[in-house]
Amino acid sequence: MTENNSVLFLDGNAAASLLQEIFVPDISIAEIRCVACGFASSVGSLRLYAASMGAVLRCTHCDGILIRAVHTRHGRWLEMTGARHLRF
Amino acid sequence: MIEPAIAPQPRLEWQLAEVRAIVVETPRVKSLLLQVPAWQGHLPGQHVDIRLTAEDGYQAQRSYSIASPPEDALLTLTVERLDNGEVSPYLVDDVRVGDQFELRGPIGGYFVWTVATRGPLCLIAGGSGIAPLAAMLRHRARRKVRAPTLLMYSSRSLEEVIYGEELDAMSRGDSDLRLVNTLTREQPEGWTGYRRRIDKAMLAEVGFPPEQHPKIFICGPTPLVEDASRFLVELGHPFPTIKTERFGPTGGLAS
Repeated sequence: MTENNSVLFLDGNAAASLLQEIFVPDISIAEIRCVACGFASSVGSLRLYAASMGAVLRCTHCDGILIRAVHTRHGRWLEMTGARHLRF
Repeated sequence: MIEPAIAPQPRLEWQLAEVRAIVVETPRVKSLLLQVPAWQGHLPGQHVDIRLTAEDGYQAQRSYSIASPPEDALLTLTVERLDNGEVSPYLVDDVRVGDQFELRGPIGGYFVWTVATRGPLCLIAGGSGIAPLAAMLRHRARRKVRAPTLLMYSSRSLEEVIYGEELDAMSRGDSDLRLVNTLTREQPEGWTGYRRRIDKAMLAEVGFPPEQHPKIFICGPTPLVEDASRFLVELGHPFPTIKTERFGPTGGLAS
């Protein structure tokens, strides 16, 4: 993994350190199911759109937003309305 | 296909790593061999975060794959200098033996292969994307496991092939390991290998057929990862057996 700002998105695995600040079990191999299309996959395989303040993780099947995670001075925010479940 | 996580992850704490040796791999790539006193071990394919702090307090954070196998005492990171990069020019050009910087990990159990994984292993690398795949190959070699393995490695020129001699030696001594190099821009005289980007015909020609259920790991620049994974799906490999790790701006995700 290197620095290349021309890249639009990464693999969910690259968000593991941010999400691991919140979850206790290894989040990158947890199963996540998309509300919009019902597709289940590993968090590590999602499409990660990374910015300096946080991460947006999208379904590889329908591009629906499954996870939004932001780390701010005021706390760690996790929004998952697009996900039906996480299974560890 | 999704394996449950059993063990809780230890908290990711920043710790100091000390550079113990530096290996020049190519004109743009160096390997840093690090001593991390409280290192708890890792699995081949995992990565670490590195954090550099300037004198004025400005911090820059990047992720780097671990290139060494769990069997090694020192942790190896292989870093390519990106000319407009914020962290890699420092790691490649300025770091000296004895220098220290902050590191946390290991991170990510998704892009991971160990000798306990069954089935043939298909590794596809572009450029410095070889690093996490080298950790898998070195782990496989240290454990003397004969899992049928293929490495397809795309480089721009022979000069830019990372770990070239080590990989050649590894495959010479191991009939279950196939090494397929392709040089996409410049080939030395007498080069008999491939001369083009990894494409569907190449994957069909040298890759494992889907009936053999290979575990597939692809790491490299986004176009290579996109193309290779799409071609493999078209050739009949199930999506969940293909794990990808794209290069990109992974730094600055947290704090």
